[in-house]
Parts: sequence; C-alpha cells; structure tokens
Amino acid sequence: MRRVMLAVTGTVAVLVMLLGFKTSPHSATARSALIGAQSPAGSGQTGTTQGGTGSTGSGTSGSGSTSGSGSTSGSGSTSSGTVTGQAVDTRYGPVQVQATFAGGRITNVQAVQIPQGTPRDAEINAYAGPMLAQEALQAQSAQIDIISGATYTSEGYAQSLQSAIDQASG
Amino acid sequence: MPALTGAPLNTRVLIGFMADAQVSLTFTRHSGRVATRATAGTRPGPAPLARSAPRAELKPTALLFLVAAGAAVAVALWFTGTPGGLRGPADWLTNAGRITGLLGGYGCVVLVLLMARIPVVERGMGADRLARWHSMGGRYVVSLLVAHALLVVLGYAETTGVSPLAQTHSLLFEYADVMMATVALGLLVGVGVASMRAVRPRLRYETWYYLHFYTYLALALSFAHAFANGAQFMNNPLNRAYWMAMYGGAAAALLWFRIVVPVRQNLRHRMRVARVVREGPGVISLQVTGEHLEELQAEAGHFFRWRFLTRDGWWQSHPYSLSAPPHPHFLRITIKDLGDHSATVGRIAVGTRVFAEGPYGAMTQARRTRRKVLLVAGGVGITPLRALFESMPGRPGEVELIYRVGSEAEIVLRRELDAIARARQRVVHYLVGHRGSSADPFVGNRLTRLVPDVRHRDVYVCGPPGMTDAAVAGLRAAGVPDQNIHTEEFEL
Repeated sequence: MRRVMLAVTGTVAVLVMLLGFKTSPHSATARSALIGAQSPAGSGQTGTTQGGTGSTGSGTSGSGSTSGSGSTSGSGSTSSGTVTGQAVDTRYGPVQVQATFAGGRITNVQAVQIPQGTPRDAEINAYAGPMLAQEALQAQSAQIDIISGATYTSEGYAQSLQSAIDQASG
Repeated sequence: MPALTGAPLNTRVLIGFMADAQVSLTFTRHSGRVATRATAGTRPGPAPLARSAPRAELKPTALLFLVAAGAAVAVALWFTGTPGGLRGPADWLTNAGRITGLLGGYGCVVLVLLMARIPVVERGMGADRLARWHSMGGRYVVSLLVAHALLVVLGYAETTGVSPLAQTHSLLFEYADVMMATVALGLLVGVGVASMRAVRPRLRYETWYYLHFYTYLALALSFAHAFANGAQFMNNPLNRAYWMAMYGGAAAALLWFRIVVPVRQNLRHRMRVARVVREGPGVISLQVTGEHLEELQAEAGHFFRWRFLTRDGWWQSHPYSLSAPPHPHFLRITIKDLGDHSATVGRIAVGTRVFAEGPYGAMTQARRTRRKVLLVAGGVGITPLRALFESMPGRPGEVELIYRVGSEAEIVLRRELDAIARARQRVVHYLVGHRGSSADPFVGNRLTRLVPDVRHRDVYVCGPPGMTDAAVAGLRAAGVPDQNIHTEEFEL
C-alpha cells in the first residue's frame, strides 16, 4: 500500500512539475514577445512569412491582397474594405484570416484557412476560430491571447491578422 | 546417484530452545572414517562442470537506471515538442494525458523486455525479481494508461467545451484508431485484474499465463493511435522513428530470445527423460539426457523452463531448478506435486521428449564472495540448494545448510543431503515446524545460536515468498549485509 501511495504521489508530483514549468510566465515570454514584436502596425514587416517551409501549401496565394468592394482609400492609415492576410504555416497546417475594416476599425475577422486535417484540429478550430475573431474585434489589433489548446493556430492567426492590418494601413 | 544411497551416519539432536515442539535437527559431523579434507575423490556424484568465465550481467540498479533514462526520453519527447504558456485546466489535463500516454507506451515496452529472457538481464536480476518488477510495473503501467485515456477525454472536452461523454463518443468514432486503442486498454486492464491478488489464485496458472498473450495483441492494437493522433508524433518524423525503433526492438528481442534461441538450442540438444525416480510421496526426480549438454554452461543453482512433450502437457512450461550439479550427459530436476502441472509430471514416461529453455537464474557459485556459505531452503526450495550444497567448494564446516519444512514428511532428498554432508563434512540442520513455531529460526537470536558465524557467510535463500521475506529480515537482524544475501523465490 505504501508503494502504491509512493507511485501515485511521485507521478503526480512529476506531472505537476513538468506542467508547471511549461505554464510559468518565464517560458511563455518568448511566445508573447513573438506576437508583440509584430504588433505595431506598419512596421515594415508586410508579407514576411513565418520561418519553416515558407510555402502555404494550398491554392491560396501567399501574399495578401485587397478584395471586395471597398478598395484601399490611399489616404494613409485609415482604410475600409476586406483584406486577406498572409497564409501562415503552423505545425498543423496553414492559417489565413480575412479582416474587414470600416473607418479604420476592424469590423469582422474570419478564417479562410485553418487546420482541419484531423478530427482534433477540426474540433479545436471550430471552437478556437470564433474565439480568436472575438478577441481580435475586442483588441482591435493582432495582440490577441493564445487560446488554450490551440496554441499554434492562435499564433498563426495573430500573424496572418497582423499582415492584413499592415496591408490595410499601408 | 548410487554413491549417495549409503545409510547416513547422522545424529539427531533436539536443541534446547526448540525442544518443546516437533523440531528435529540433524547434525552431520566429521567422522573419522571420512577424509578430513574435501578433495575431488571424496566428492559424491558427478563432478560439477567447469565454470566458464564470468558473463556479463545487468544488476538491478543498472537496470533501474536504464529504465529511468528511457522514461526521461519519453518525457523529453513531450517536453521539447510542447510550447510554453500552458494555461487553464484544459491545457493541464490534455498535456498530463500526453505525458501519461508517452510513459505508458514506453512502460509497455519495458514490461515486455523484462519478460524477454534477455540473458544479461536474467543473470543480473534473477527470474523471481524480474517477475516481481514485471507485476509491480504492470500495475503501474496499466494505471498510467487508464489515466491517459481519462485525462485526454477530460482535457479535450474541457478545451472545446463539450461534455466528457460527447467527447468520448467523438474520440471513439471520429479519431483514427482510438477505438482499437480502447479495445487494447480493455485487454490490458483485464490482464491486470486477472493478476490481482484477489483474483489470481482463483485462476489456473495456465489460464493466467496465456491471458498474457493478449497483451501482445493490445500493444499491436494501440500502436497506431499514437501516430495518428499524438501531438508528439503527428508532425515529427524523428519521434516516430524513435518510437518505432523502440517497439521494433522489443519485438525483435522477444522473438529472438523466446523463440529463435530456445528452438535452436533444443534442436541441438534433443533432450529426453532418461529416468524417473520416486523420491517420496508426491515427489519425483527426472533425469534428463541430451546431446552436447556441456554447451549449455549450466551450473548448480540454475533452473530451466521445462516443457514435456506429451499429448496434454506440451503447451505448459514450468521453471524447475536443477536438483543436482549438471553432468555432461544428465540434468536432474526434482518436482513436488504442487499444482495441476506437477501432478501430470508424475505420469511422464522414460523417453518423453523435453523442450527446455535455460539456464536461468542468478543464484550460483558466481555470487559467492566469502569463503563460508550458509544455504537456507524452504520446502521445495531445497532443489537448487541441494545442487549447490554438493558442488560448492569449501573446507569442512564452510558450507552449511538449513532446511525448513512444515512436517517431517516434506523433507525430500534427505538421503542425498546426508550423504553429501557426510562425505564433504558439511552440516545440515533440518528444522521441522511451521512459521512462527519454535522451529522458525528467524525469530529472536535463534539463527545466531544455530550458525554462530552467520555474519561472516554468504547466505543463499530459496523458498516460498513468505519464508524468503522472513529469512531476509532474520539474516539482516543477525548482521548479514544485504550484498551477501542471495535469494530466489519460487512461486507457482
């Protein structure tokens, strides 16, 4: 019985330690910084793809393009219309968002591409997609929180959104 | 062994502290008619085979270290592939599920390897300790895998905000290979339950033993789900290669050491039963002959796993120790009627073909580090010690044997033991009586009174589990250091 208790407490302790390490703010800094660095609008990083293979792997064109009715107004930072952000490769597949702007505000964000390869991806992203859009609308920027369980998607989402914002304000 | 059948010249002594019970001690002392020094000429029976050079062995601590290192690698797969910034119960549950899954998958491989009869492991650990590790580890690994399944369900459900029940449904029916893995988990839990202390005694040994074959099926069934869904494998070919090598290596070791090697060995040695001797009520000795037996490099203290190729017995294999030092043309085992299998052994005829795997076991002369030795046998545990009692080199008085039995009728091979004692001037103490009775030498200071220099001896213990534990405790209390206590348990 003592052995059982020892095994259980030992295992739980190791698990908590490991998970705690991955939860600590220290290990999260790198990730927040990654998004933060790209958040200032018009920082000249338009169109950079995230490291990795660099190809989007799908039919969507890699570079962002304005589309729809409202073309960019050309009057500097304020713009209206729909802009498709860059497709960002994540571990589970490309993420690409489309943002609608009206009077310099983000009025709608939608994912055009989001990983759907496995049932898990589909489940997670069916739930994470709307949440990320909600966050973006609230923040009015790409500085959005990572959704639990959808780290990579959140990251790609933020980057793609950033590139859309950059284009719209460019 | 005709040389051993002479009437023993023993004196039976009742010793003071045990005199109140049915305890009898036989001291065999030096008598003038026997040569004063044990030389080759006085050795009864065949001379033991020359010992080969010490062979490599993996000690328990070394093996424990290796197992821990492997577990660390399994955790490292998770650690390196998981970004920081986990938050909330969903992340914790899911990732705890991943870690337990990786550890459980790794643990399955360890459990298989413990039972793969890898010679370095068998020699260093002893089959009894391996079996104990396997049974303890088995419980632990099955628990890890159950935890893995629960944690993943709860973590996934929490992440996407559905009920655990709905999540279970979607995992089973939408995720690749999860259904198979669930069946596998069911099989493993079933084997675990069958091995539980409350259930195991109600099953026949063979039922329980063959149930274990389902674990191989379980491993095969569960393998795919990790690659199809595991975050550590889906997008990481290196991790996949490592995992495959691990499972492939275990499968190869199993095939090689449990099938190829024994089959080859038996094709070469072609063993048969040469003689069947009734030793007493329910006890028989089998003399097995074969070709090139010296190549087996068997030693006194070793055991083999025996399969007697009769119509109804060929499919069962049981471990029995050599009950006499191995001879180039004969191996002998002594079997007591303990259960289903040993009962059918009694009907084995001369000429029956034998399939033997071995030698196994760690309780040989190679373990000895001191000049003086004490052998402690409980019940049928006498068999390997009987062989050691004869073959271990030593001057008069340097090798002593304590033989514990519940009743006088249970003493087997007595004439041989007495003859060896006489010829080599060694002492046998027969202690008759149950545990805790006044014949129990592991109570108080009885052991030291019986064998005053016990602290300076290597002690070999072989008996049923309860007796072995008591013996080890008693020996420690008497001041024998752990590294000089060598045990082997037998268990049906």
